[in-house]
Amino acid sequence: MSAILRVSGLSKAFRGVHAVQDASFDVELGSITGLIGPNGSGKSTAIDCVSGFQRLDAGRIVLNGETITNLSPATVARAGLVRTFQNVRVYDSYNLVDNLLVAEAPFRGLSWYDALMRTRAFRDTRSAAEDRARRLIDHVGLTPLIDAPATVLSYGQKKLLAFAAAMMTHPKLIVLDEPVAGVNPNRINDVAATLRKANEGGVSLLIVEHNVEFINDLCDKVIVFDQGRKLTEGTPAEVHSDPRVLDAYLGIAPVQQHAQPEAT
Amino acid sequence: MSRSRTLPAAVAAAIAILLGIPLLTHSNYVLGIAISGLIFLAAAAALNLVYGYAGLLSFAQLGFWGVGGYCSALAVMDFGRSFWEGVLFAGAVNLVLAVAIGVAIIRTTRHAFVVVTLTFALLANLIARDWVDVTRGPLGIPGLPAPSLFGFAFNSSERFYYVALIFTLAALAFLYCLKTSRIGLVLKAIKQNEQLVESQGISAAPYKLAAFVIAAVITGMAGAIYAFHLKVIDPSFLDFYYMQTFLIIVIIAGAGSFWAVVLAGTVMVVLPEALRFSDELRMVIYGVILVAAMMFMPRGIAGWMEDRRIAMLRKALR
Repeated sequence: MSAILRVSGLSKAFRGVHAVQDASFDVELGSITGLIGPNGSGKSTAIDCVSGFQRLDAGRIVLNGETITNLSPATVARAGLVRTFQNVRVYDSYNLVDNLLVAEAPFRGLSWYDALMRTRAFRDTRSAAEDRARRLIDHVGLTPLIDAPATVLSYGQKKLLAFAAAMMTHPKLIVLDEPVAGVNPNRINDVAATLRKANEGGVSLLIVEHNVEFINDLCDKVIVFDQGRKLTEGTPAEVHSDPRVLDAYLGIAPVQQHAQPEAT
Repeated sequence: MSRSRTLPAAVAAAIAILLGIPLLTHSNYVLGIAISGLIFLAAAAALNLVYGYAGLLSFAQLGFWGVGGYCSALAVMDFGRSFWEGVLFAGAVNLVLAVAIGVAIIRTTRHAFVVVTLTFALLANLIARDWVDVTRGPLGIPGLPAPSLFGFAFNSSERFYYVALIFTLAALAFLYCLKTSRIGLVLKAIKQNEQLVESQGISAAPYKLAAFVIAAVITGMAGAIYAFHLKVIDPSFLDFYYMQTFLIIVIIAGAGSFWAVVLAGTVMVVLPEALRFSDELRMVIYGVILVAAMMFMPRGIAGWMEDRRIAMLRKALR
């Protein structure tokens, strides 16, 4: 397998506090990869750097053979890497279809003239986009609410909508920041099924999450961060039997000073 | 009640009424108010594009308004051009100005944006007052001639009314096309969550710049026409009163709603005049209505209606 995302030597400090230090990891093409670690271990900073929302102090990020280090978030997204946010973000006043239409990538091939004059090419693209939006909304199970403004959705439903919007951009890799944090436990399996289905459709996923069961269930590979460094990586089973991981989370093994930098 | 059928009917009716106003009254007073109302409406709708759609509180509108007024006046009085060329000149100068200012400030924070645009408006006022060689300073430029087209002079309020009407309808039609297009969709998305827009592969800056520039051109042309309605231009043309009027219209309507701005624009022009039955209390009542509107509808009429709709939806979903 080849890597869709290759991060090497990533470092980022905030006012001298090292949030991430010399971290290197890969996300394999077509995989579901987990990124776990205690609070403040640098996960969020790492994905902010990867998605262009933070500038790197050092390191290199390669997406599908293309270097995307320190490009703007919009450029990174157009290259095929789209992220979701920990505190879920949707366009509250828009209905679900409009939420997705904003994110529709093929529109970008058309000029503003097309958009303003509603040319033939524009109308064709838009109706195709609307069909796609409806399918994606159906895919995440939100069809009954399709005409409602997104603000009436529950927190978990908004996360599903945000995921559908990410899918709308025709991504190669979606980076999900805590997709099930704050989601009704009964719905977590639905989220897992939705993600798995998207993955089967060819999208690679990198998931930052605290819910261990969720990660174990979904991921082929898990990367563990601790104190701004990559601690280890492996299959879920390998990682969870690693004493260093238990130490990082619970502080069971021999004493270690835990100066935890604030990562977010 | 299908929206797709009522809307064109309502628009057609409104246009018919507007076309008929000069036939119904020959009062220069009423027509003068109607002309001001139309021009203010175009400027307010332009402000709604920057503030209501792109989410940028721009005080530069006042500057563009003044620059537009002076440009058209100078084009006619100093360069011997026609009124129509003057209006186009006003639009062109504002286009260049807005691009120059916009490129520099569109990436700054929203607070910095407010401060810079406010400074621009104050600077425009200062130039109008102190660059006496060009602007004639505080004395202003009096005696702006009535526009004429192919020998037909728009030399009465009835006739000038149609100039204002055509301009405002054209500006509103353009802004409506923009609002309902994908560009409008993205602009309002930027206002709601700029980072999300960026994360979806759309650079926000060109959209914000476009909104700023388009609003500047429309405001500048509106100012150009208004100067010829007043037939004189002096530094009071850059009085904060105008900015206040545009802002009140947009805020009472609810920033970001096209039709609410059109309605509020009409009401805000008619209301102060309708209150003339009580000359002493007129401005007091006007003030009370504004304060009450803001107390009970802090997000404007459109925001209030949206909140009601969402509350009903929430109830239905429970």
